[in-house]
Amino acid sequence: MIGAALALARVKLVLELRRREVVFAMLLFVAATIVIVHFALRADEGAGPRAAAGMLWAAVVFTAVLGLLRAFAAEAEEGALDALLLAPVDRAAIWLGSALAQLGFLVVVELVAVPLWWLLFFQEGGPEPLPVIAALLLANIGIALVGTLAAGLALGARTRDVLLPVLVLPLAIPLVLAGVTATYGAFGEEGGGFGPLGPLGFLALYDLIFLALAWGTSEHLLGD
Amino acid sequence: MRALGRPSTTVPLILSLILVPLTVVLAFWWTGDDVDQGFSQKIFYLHVPVALASYAAFGYGAVCAALYLWRRDPEWDLRSYVGVHSGTIFGTLVLLTGPIWAKASWGVWWNWGDRQINVFLILFLYYCAYFMLRFSLDEGERRRSASAVYALLGVGLIPLSFLAVRIAETLIHPTVFTSSGAAMPDTFFLTFLVGLAGMLSLMALLMSVELRGKRAAARLVEYQRAARGEDA
Amino acid sequence: MQPPAVTLEGCSKRFGERLALRKATLAVEPGETVVLLGPNGAGKSTLLRLAAGLLRPTAGHARIDGVDAVDAPRAMRAGMAYAGHRSQLYRGLTARENLALHARLHGRALDLDAALAAVGLADRADERIDGFSRGMLQRLALARATAHDPVLLLLDEPASGLDADGRALLDGALMDGHGRRTQLVASHDADLPARLGARAVRLDAGRLA
Repeated sequence: MIGAALALARVKLVLELRRREVVFAMLLFVAATIVIVHFALRADEGAGPRAAAGMLWAAVVFTAVLGLLRAFAAEAEEGALDALLLAPVDRAAIWLGSALAQLGFLVVVELVAVPLWWLLFFQEGGPEPLPVIAALLLANIGIALVGTLAAGLALGARTRDVLLPVLVLPLAIPLVLAGVTATYGAFGEEGGGFGPLGPLGFLALYDLIFLALAWGTSEHLLGD
Repeated sequence: MRALGRPSTTVPLILSLILVPLTVVLAFWWTGDDVDQGFSQKIFYLHVPVALASYAAFGYGAVCAALYLWRRDPEWDLRSYVGVHSGTIFGTLVLLTGPIWAKASWGVWWNWGDRQINVFLILFLYYCAYFMLRFSLDEGERRRSASAVYALLGVGLIPLSFLAVRIAETLIHPTVFTSSGAAMPDTFFLTFLVGLAGMLSLMALLMSVELRGKRAAARLVEYQRAARGEDA
Repeated sequence: MQPPAVTLEGCSKRFGERLALRKATLAVEPGETVVLLGPNGAGKSTLLRLAAGLLRPTAGHARIDGVDAVDAPRAMRAGMAYAGHRSQLYRGLTARENLALHARLHGRALDLDAALAAVGLADRADERIDGFSRGMLQRLALARATAHDPVLLLLDEPASGLDADGRALLDGALMDGHGRRTQLVASHDADLPARLGARAVRLDAGRLA
């Protein structure tokens, strides 16, 4: 199953490399969102850690949803999904392969977005990078796993494009809560009783639980 | 529809008719006023049970969803839907009574420090999306499978939401209630239990009524199709 | 692997308000070739998709060697091939890459050059298929369907968009499969059954004649 998932993920990454549709859109979107949220909060130069943490995570989540809208687009073009469903592989491989590709896109986008965020808000000072990066990576995994599953669920729907954000965003709320807490904690502020380990541990738990749930139910995804 | 047995409407009806008024009576005449929050605390005997019944309904919906995915009997899908639907209806009640209590207790309509209501908000949004998913798919196998998967994922979300809100409490300072904590006096607790039993009965009643209605509607469609000479 | 028997028993399929297939009963013997004829909208595609296990019947059963097609185990799916109205390919990949993915998913090493040459696409093997014409896509779809030497072949109007050479290739592939694999082909070509020496079955408004 893993082999097939990796093969599929590789295909989707190659396709993106050639056509560069999704990642560029996500990059522009994340930058625009950071700017919009900044203006919306009317945070002045050197925004407090809370506002800055919030801005990053809000932008990342919305950008992830944007990428997820295209999760099965390549398969939809010529009906390749039928071929995947009929192939002698677990359906879970279809879900996992797409999720891995989504994860890849998110990581690439964040390689640009995080330094950008840093530059814009932290002329001096700034959080410890390690917890922030760890939190982002763990949250990316979570959102890729559940988001791809949701994208699969929404595949046959008439209102697919509006439906997907509605399905994914509630699932993303716990990720944002933990992510912002971890980021905030990385500023060396008075953390909660857990320090950065708490939120990071939570993110890992989220990933594990939804990995299990999604893997178990992806058999019933797709197809009719 | 396969005969999985008709869920009783009479038993929940009788229980509800007894327990819910009993709760109100107990709340107003038996329990004393709360030391901190005064008279407004009494909504707790109804508000929290409604929330708990809501969770129970979502849990039931998830169990039926799993059974559907296992057995593929549309009856389980129907029960799952009814569970989620009833849970959401009660959920709406929670979100309506919550601000009333908040206003009476703390003078604000919404208290972001209330841990329970934050969790509930997340789940409410999630389960509302269930309906959007379900009804954007055409009736048939795919609708049932997708709904079931989504209902199942929801139970993963419930504990994770609690945990996430708890962890985020460095940012959101929680409001602690003394009367709804473990240090509750016996009269309060007993009344609360009666309220809980009453709400669960009401929930069971709601679900069995809706299930009957949905089954009847499905049967009607089947007969109409048969009358038109269609075979399925 | 032995070619399987495909049986539809009282198969009905409903899409929302529309009943696409009504109580279809069909038995295809192992190794037999059956041609499905019928006008557009008759339900041929639905029948094929039910046989492939891509759709679950609203009523009745669609079985391959006695097993419900939707529950076909992996070993069985490894020996199946279905080519529908769309090519089931990835537009941004080359012909070769598409076949390579197909091979990878089937867990087999396939001679991609031979497969591409067999459908006359050897010289376009490393071009991205978004530049391909409809006929070329059909040829590649045919290659994808036959490259792993399936024992069950389900084709939905495979000749559409093919030129004379392409149709000859298709006929050749179907003749080649006679007796070796079970073949169910939907077609508008009323002469096909005669050319292949195959049984013809008519479908009209969701009903099998």
